[in-house]
Amino acid sequence: MLIAAALCPAPPLLARELTGADPVVPELRRACLDAATDLLQSSPDMIAVVGTGEHTRAFGTRGQLDLAAYAPALALDRLDTGGLDGNAGPVPLPLGLGCRLLDEAGYAGQLALHTVSDGASAADCAALGARLAGTAARVALLVMADGSARRGLKAPGYLDERSFPFDAQVTDAIGAGDMAALLTLDADLARDLMATGRPAWQVLAGAVGEQRPASVIRYCDDPFGVAYLVATLSPQHDAIPTPGRERGGDWLDRP
Amino acid sequence: MSDRLAPAAQQGVLRLGNRAFPPGQPVVMGIVNRTPDSFFRPAVTWDEAAAMDRVHQVIADGADIVDVGGIPAAPGADVDVAEEIRRTAGFIGAIRSAYPDVVISADTWRHETGRAVCEAGADLLNDSWGGYDARLADVAAEFGAGLVCAHAGRQSPRTRPFRVAYPDVMADVLDHVQLLARRALAAGVRSDRIVIDAAHDFGKNTWHSLEITRRLAEMTATGFPVLVSLSNKDFIGETLNLPPEQRLPGTLAATAICAWHGARIFRVHQVTESRQVIDMVSAIRGDRPPARAVRGLA
Repeated sequence: MLIAAALCPAPPLLARELTGADPVVPELRRACLDAATDLLQSSPDMIAVVGTGEHTRAFGTRGQLDLAAYAPALALDRLDTGGLDGNAGPVPLPLGLGCRLLDEAGYAGQLALHTVSDGASAADCAALGARLAGTAARVALLVMADGSARRGLKAPGYLDERSFPFDAQVTDAIGAGDMAALLTLDADLARDLMATGRPAWQVLAGAVGEQRPASVIRYCDDPFGVAYLVATLSPQHDAIPTPGRERGGDWLDRP
Repeated sequence: MSDRLAPAAQQGVLRLGNRAFPPGQPVVMGIVNRTPDSFFRPAVTWDEAAAMDRVHQVIADGADIVDVGGIPAAPGADVDVAEEIRRTAGFIGAIRSAYPDVVISADTWRHETGRAVCEAGADLLNDSWGGYDARLADVAAEFGAGLVCAHAGRQSPRTRPFRVAYPDVMADVLDHVQLLARRALAAGVRSDRIVIDAAHDFGKNTWHSLEITRRLAEMTATGFPVLVSLSNKDFIGETLNLPPEQRLPGTLAATAICAWHGARIFRVHQVTESRQVIDMVSAIRGDRPPARAVRGLA
């Protein structure tokens, strides 16, 4: 059962070392950390991290975020570029960033990492969300997702005016806990707007299900022409299982 | 250092137009924009007379090549083929008339524009967008022009990098520019007229551009003449946190490193300052003697 969800963006610059001497967006990182901390406070049995990727697939939780792909010089210094123990090959950026946030928040519990294909239908995304939510008695979801990257003349994708109503639709849906609205997002428009978060938001909608969660928006801005939204959502269940009971097994093996 | 660094291939004579540039004789390419909206000093040479004044100036300052572009690299108002040709071809014809022997380069990715500018007298097609239009090489071959084979991270023209990542950016650069160079050879472009360019900032974040600067020797080791286009670019601005009009010292520092690593062509806005840095590094490398040395020698 889903007991809490957090939404954070996944730009490479969320990794503090990538912006050089200037922290550039400390308030964004702070908001993300606060959102991750909220998840921990819900005492989850398991946290699932979800982000958009090339394919819909699970990743091992010992993988590392390969920051050297974005900043080769960081590898020269042999800096710790990952957020997790071990060395099982790189994980995609949104998952790696999510793991770093959970690390920073002090999470040491069970973890699942999943990408959702950038071409996945709303129904497939929702089904994945529902499946993830059912993998343990108390599941928290960390969704790493970004809005349009075309929100200004200096934006990565230049200006597309359709970005503003599109991102507003997402922000309104999250703010109102209106998951059904997320499922109606136009996938083609999202692709045009370089809004990579569309499938991941729809996984969130599927995980939350029918009800309307309470939400807190912690950050909503576009300092570089990309829409970043940080929020926490608290589903209102009648009977949320008590922490520590009915622990699920390895979620990957469950139907 | 990467194990891709094979024993250095010999650099040969670079031939552009009527000119022959032996190794050890670095070449300065002065930028002349025929655009109203380039990032550095926008619109100052939008007017044709002002643009011709700029040509006179860069040649007087020591540029060997004049690079004429009709489209800014950044996204913006669409410039179609006809408009690009209108901005560049006639102007290139005017430069050719005024300077029969100067090397004229056209900054374009389109083969239609390439054809028009070669007919007007261009000697080099500077394709910063990494072979987006494969027929540009055919045009270079047909006119006996040179061709710049660049790496833009397979991005479409006039797009900005968005979260680009490379397992090894220099390996990607080497693979791509050498692939384009082989295609150019196959299309009939003469081997002594092929130039490679890592294309700083194109399909790269600042960290990537710093990396290719640091490892530029891996490009010069291919034997192809290397062009660098560093002038006042964003990777310099981000490294030093400075706006375009304050990036000259950073530009010159990067220029010096690239010259040290053996770059052959330097595409620049500030010709005089760049020429001094390049000549100084050439002397340090031992490629050219001091202009006048008497200290301790009298």
